[in-house]
Amino acid sequence: MNDTAAALPKPVAGQAEGRRGGLLRRLRYVEPVTLLWLLLVLVLLFLVAAPLLKLFSVSFQAQETGTFTLSNYATAYGRARYLDALVNSLTLGLASAAIAVLLAVPMAWAVSRTDMPGKGFTWAVVLGAFIMPPYLGAVGWILLAGPNSGFVNRFWQWLTGSEGTLFNVYSFEGLALVIALHSFPLVFIFVKAALDLVSSEMEDAANILGAGTWTAMRKVTLPLVWPSILGSFIIVFLETIALFGTPAILGIPARINVVTTQLWQFFEYPVRVEVAAAYAMPLLLVTIGLIAVQKLLLARKAFVSQTGKGGERRMIRLGPWRWAMFGWCALVGALSVAMPLLVLLQASFAKAWGRGISLDNLTLRNYHLLIFEHEMAMTSIWNTIWFSAAAATAAVLIALLVAYIVNRRLMPFGEVLGFLAMAPFVIPGIVMAIGFYAAYASPPLALYGTAALIIFAFTARFLPIAYANSSAAIRAVHPEMEEAARILGSGRLQAVSRITAPLLRKALLGGWLIVFIVASRELSAAIFLVGPRTRTMAVLLYDLSEAGNFEVLAAFGGLLLLITLVLVGIGMKLVGRDFMLRRI
Amino acid sequence: MQGITKRQLLIAGAALGGLTASSRSGAQDMSAHERELYEAAKREGEITWYSGQYSAETSEAIGRAFTERYPEVRCNVVRSTSQVAFQRLSQDARAGVAQCDVFSSTNSGHFQLLKRQSRLLQFRPQNADGMLESIRNADPDNFFHTSFLGLFQLACNSQKVSEDEAPKSWTDLLDPKWRNQLAVGHPGFSGAIGVWAVQMRKMYGWDYFKKLEKNKPQIGRSSQDPVTLLNAGERSVGVAVPAATVLLSISRGNPLRLIYPTEGVLATIAPSGIIRNAPHPNAAKLFMEFQTGPHMTPVLLRYFADPLRPGSPPPEGAKPLDQIKLLAPSIEEQEKGVPEVRELWRDTFGV
Repeated sequence: MNDTAAALPKPVAGQAEGRRGGLLRRLRYVEPVTLLWLLLVLVLLFLVAAPLLKLFSVSFQAQETGTFTLSNYATAYGRARYLDALVNSLTLGLASAAIAVLLAVPMAWAVSRTDMPGKGFTWAVVLGAFIMPPYLGAVGWILLAGPNSGFVNRFWQWLTGSEGTLFNVYSFEGLALVIALHSFPLVFIFVKAALDLVSSEMEDAANILGAGTWTAMRKVTLPLVWPSILGSFIIVFLETIALFGTPAILGIPARINVVTTQLWQFFEYPVRVEVAAAYAMPLLLVTIGLIAVQKLLLARKAFVSQTGKGGERRMIRLGPWRWAMFGWCALVGALSVAMPLLVLLQASFAKAWGRGISLDNLTLRNYHLLIFEHEMAMTSIWNTIWFSAAAATAAVLIALLVAYIVNRRLMPFGEVLGFLAMAPFVIPGIVMAIGFYAAYASPPLALYGTAALIIFAFTARFLPIAYANSSAAIRAVHPEMEEAARILGSGRLQAVSRITAPLLRKALLGGWLIVFIVASRELSAAIFLVGPRTRTMAVLLYDLSEAGNFEVLAAFGGLLLLITLVLVGIGMKLVGRDFMLRRI
Repeated sequence: MQGITKRQLLIAGAALGGLTASSRSGAQDMSAHERELYEAAKREGEITWYSGQYSAETSEAIGRAFTERYPEVRCNVVRSTSQVAFQRLSQDARAGVAQCDVFSSTNSGHFQLLKRQSRLLQFRPQNADGMLESIRNADPDNFFHTSFLGLFQLACNSQKVSEDEAPKSWTDLLDPKWRNQLAVGHPGFSGAIGVWAVQMRKMYGWDYFKKLEKNKPQIGRSSQDPVTLLNAGERSVGVAVPAATVLLSISRGNPLRLIYPTEGVLATIAPSGIIRNAPHPNAAKLFMEFQTGPHMTPVLLRYFADPLRPGSPPPEGAKPLDQIKLLAPSIEEQEKGVPEVRELWRDTFGV
């Protein structure tokens, strides 16, 4: 509504000629921002709404005829095995989320509120665990904790002289732990952000009333950040039930079938998209429901600990216990990053990883095979880079425009755009892939096997990250600077491109890099959409994992990590050290 | 420095394999039919090969050898387990998009099905006449042709299992002493494991697998998966593993031993076919000639796979075919049986 300025410098209408000229003239009065709004609506409908609606409608269609039926639901839930998978997913989600909270909350507390040494190191651990693709961590843990050959178990057998196994990765516990080791950073970030806001006065009050550090933490500090703990628990739960790579790699030897691997089975011959769609519905409903719960939790006002009065924040002195806390952080770092990384590195240079480190076991063959002999390996690296770059660019651009329209209240119902941009947050990647397959793989669009289909899916999938990022950035720029430009005669688009965008550059670059990095390792959204020439690194890695050739797999994982690390390095240089962990 | 090493490697490879040498002079030794196909294929520029037959490494080498002989036709090797390759093909068909030119699977039943659905192109490679007589005519109507002859048998880690202790037969595996020692692929992924399960069910009934489950075999996906587990010492006996992968692994210094079960070895004689709506039909025909012809043989021997044409010795370390008892279900039994055993397997083993 405050947009009349753009309409003021009316262009002089040419000679009106009949009805067509009249229409053109009327179009001239349409605000450019209205057209943009319309365009964005169309783009978001295409990327988000249509695949979901298609998924929903297809779940009620008979395979050959397309007539209405409920039989897909009957098939999807008609077998004990399929229901077991559903139960397995839910228990696995609970277990992983619980482990992640146990791992991360002490770390967050120690970093935020105590004088624990090595806080920079702890940040590095969290970042490392965050950027390591979960399926790569899973492969690392196969090498570490295979019951007979894993390094951890062999060390245990050597140490104790027993024949027993310390930890078997091919088990429910193994699966839950490996997943938690890569999702705890989410808990850490949420909980630490909340702890940063609690002022020391609350703890002081408890101390004065006779509570020690431990009691104060347990009875005062932690309850204050309870919503953030529960909120991050829910996020990890949802991440876990939507995960495909780790259960696919560990679940078969562990004899555990989950929802995502069951969805994959519905794509076996004959391809039953309809049944898969029906089977995916609870996953979607659970996610939507829990996200709503999480929003409610965080909206509760009873937990407000940040008030107008500035609270003092002092670090709690832990005494010798600070080394215990540091030990915990180091342990988590070893389990989640250092140990898997080391064994992967060893395997990537080994002829047979089980033979350990010795000179006659060293080889460059695995890398040589991938770099010089493998027909797809290099292509897939290139695919990954450009698909991710294209998706990141598209997502940031769309997110920026939507965030601008929503935050500046340029259009009535602008929030609809914001809602659509955030909606993919509640759609598991594999469900989204099925939606894209159902909606766009076949003619008339016939996008199956094209790069465009994967780029669209990645754009949609990571739009919420880009949107949250852009929205926060735009809120930080006061409109008055644009208004100054507008008063001096600039149009809105010019004001945005010359004033606002440069101010946002750093934040947008950060958002771009985050989307790029998460897209470059995305497996579940790509798995049903790739064609022979459009396979990405994550998909090729999954293909390579079939034959259990861990040496080549590790070498390929090494290449993937190298690329990610270079990008994270660039990001830190350009945007700041904490760009990945600031807001996710 | 590195460039020199690479060139040296290339020269050494060329001298050693003989394959590269012969393909360098490829243009001269081409028959009129081959040259004509190559000319047509050049215009298409590439061929996409969905395959579950040879190991990933061997498949890549076959693709490279093809492009070395026909430099202007790139071979897109899409290697996965056979069931996953078929899943890809089905997804293509379901989407109505043609991406695959030549399809190869260890489950011959796939071809029976594709043929009945009229999804294969009729073509007889001239080179097929030079193949071993027993595998020359896979399909009387020439919709598909043998491109793979693989033996699937037992193998053990020779450091963990002595020759005396080692299982001698398929039924020996049911002995409780092998509890937590066995490793096997999955019929939902591997075509050969599906065929093997059909054969075992035929010989011993499904009870065989219920008893096998009592020994808690570690289940992977590909039939080759157990070989890695044996190399690492994770498990000590590999069940229905491809002989070629085992022999290649032995040649690289891993402590493995190949075992020929007394009841016989599973012989997977499996074909390839051209997909009817193949985007590159001429390149596909050229590739079928290549697979059935003499120029794939050196690659196969280098990777310890069984050659399809007479006149070559068996791969190093393997018994000649005529001294082995071969087991194989019929193509009809495969088509009908594999989907059945896949379901039974999931009920029995839980995955």
